[in-house]
Amino acid sequence: MLDKMRYFIMRALRNMRQWPFLCAASVLTMAVALTMVATFFLVVVNVEQLTQRWSKDLQVVVYLDRAPAPSALTQMVSSIREMAEVAQVIHVTPAEAMAQFRQRLGENAALLQGVDNDILPGSLEIALHAQYQQRDGMDQLLARLKTVAAGHDIHYGQDWLERFESFVSVLRLTGLALGGFLLFAALFIVSNTIRLTFYARRDELEIMALVGATERFIKTPFLLEGALQGLFGGLLALLALTLIFKGILVEIVHSLWVTPAAFSLLFLNGHQQLILVFGGVLLGVFGSLTSLKKLIQI
Amino acid sequence: MIQLFNVTKSYRKDSVALKDLSLEIGKGEFVYVAGASGAGKTTLLRMLYAAEKPSRGQILIDGQNITRIGRQKIPYLRRKIGVVFQDYKLLNSRSVYENVAFALEAQGKKRYEVSKKVYQALKEVGLEHRLNRTPLELSGGEQQRIAIARALVVDPLILLADEPSGNLDQAVATEIMGLFRRANARGTTVVLATHDPGLYKRFPRRLISLDGGQVVSDYRPDTV
Repeated sequence: MLDKMRYFIMRALRNMRQWPFLCAASVLTMAVALTMVATFFLVVVNVEQLTQRWSKDLQVVVYLDRAPAPSALTQMVSSIREMAEVAQVIHVTPAEAMAQFRQRLGENAALLQGVDNDILPGSLEIALHAQYQQRDGMDQLLARLKTVAAGHDIHYGQDWLERFESFVSVLRLTGLALGGFLLFAALFIVSNTIRLTFYARRDELEIMALVGATERFIKTPFLLEGALQGLFGGLLALLALTLIFKGILVEIVHSLWVTPAAFSLLFLNGHQQLILVFGGVLLGVFGSLTSLKKLIQI
Repeated sequence: MIQLFNVTKSYRKDSVALKDLSLEIGKGEFVYVAGASGAGKTTLLRMLYAAEKPSRGQILIDGQNITRIGRQKIPYLRRKIGVVFQDYKLLNSRSVYENVAFALEAQGKKRYEVSKKVYQALKEVGLEHRLNRTPLELSGGEQQRIAIARALVVDPLILLADEPSGNLDQAVATEIMGLFRRANARGTTVVLATHDPGLYKRFPRRLISLDGGQVVSDYRPDTV
C-alpha cells in the first residue's frame, strides 16, 4: 500500500516536472480564480462589518427647534429616560452645539467668527441600550418619542441606513451569484487546462490502459497532481490576497476614511485561509476528475 | 486459448470489418493472420485485447467470454496479453528501463520484482546495456525490441503483434521474429498480423488469411 502510494506521488511529481509550463498554467489559473473569489468575499465581509458597526452606533437625536421652557425640558428628559430602550439622555445646549461644531472644524474654526452662539438648535442625544441598537422595533420607540417630544425634529439616520442595508443585500446577492459564477468558470477553465496536460500525455494514458492498468491506477496520480496543483494554486491565491489586501484595500480605505484607526479592515481568519487553500485542492481534484472522465476509456 | 464464434464487426451499416468469423487458436500456437490492408487483421487483434467489442458473436480468451466482461475487468484480461505495434508505442521521454517497467508498475508489482524482471526482459531482447537511453536514441529495430520486452515482461499467455516488422528492414525483421519464436517456444501463444508474405515464407507457421473481413484460408504447414 505504502509502496503504491509512494509510486503515485512520485509519478505525480514527475509528471509536473516533465510538463512545467502546463503545470504552471493550471496553478496560475486556479490561483487567479481563487484570488478573485476571495477578494470579492473580503469586500462583502468588510462592507457587512461596516453596516453592523454603523447600526451599533445608532443614536436618536431630538432637535429642539424652539427651546422649551426649563420645566417642560426636564419633564421631557425624564419621560424619555423612563423608556426601556434608552440608556442615556444628554441635553446639548445651542452653545455646546456651537462649541462642538467649532471643535470639529479645527483649523477652520475661524470661519465661525462673528456667528452667534445660539444659531444652532439645542438637542437631546439619546443613547440606546446595546440590545435595542437595531432597526427592528425602532418604529415603536420613535412613535413614543414623537408624543413626548411633539413638535421637535427626530433623527436617527433611518433613511440612509435603510438604503445602505439594501445596498449590502444587493452586494451580498451579487457576491453569491458572482462567486458561484467565478467558481464555476474557474472549474471550467481549470478542467480544460488540466485536460490540455492530459492531451499532451494521451500516449501514456493509452499505453497504461494497454498494459493492464486499472482505471484507478491510471487516475490516482493525475488526481494527486490536480490536488497538488490546487494546493499550490490555493497558497498562491492566499499570498496574492494578502498583497491585494495590504497593498490596495487597506490603502483605499485609509485614503477615504477620515479616521482610519476607527475602522480596521477584516482579513480572512485562520479557518477561512484553510478553506481557501483546501478550496484550491478541491478545485484541482474536480478539474482533474472531469477531464479524466472524458479522456480515459479503457 | 482463443476462440471466436461467428464474430461480426461493423462500424457503419454499409461497412463490415469482420464478417461471421469463427476460428480457434490453441495454447502455445504460433499463428500468422495475413491479408491486405483493410482485410480486418487489426480489427481482429483489437477485439482480442478488448479494445473493441464485436457487433455480433462471442470471443473466448483462456475460457473467458470477453464480449461479456465489464470495463473493470478489461485490465485483468490485458494482463494476460502482450501487444506489440508497428509504431512501437513507446514513451519517448522515458528511459528504456522505465518503458519496460511501466507494464509491471501498471500491474502494481513490487519495486524489487520490477527491477529484476525488467533486467531479465531487456537481456532477453539484447538491450540490457541500454537501460538508461531513451527510445529516440535507439534504432527502429531496437525500439521494437523494447516494445517486445515490455509485452513479454509480464509473462503473457498470448502475444499479439500487429505488423511488428512493418517499419523494419529484413535483417532486423528476422531478429524480431527470433524473439517471437523464442517466446512461443516458452509456451506463449503468438498471433502475428502481417501483410508481408516473405515473413511467413521464411518462418512457416499456421497461416490464417483474411479478405474482406472473412477467413479465406487456414493453412497449417506439415513441418510444424
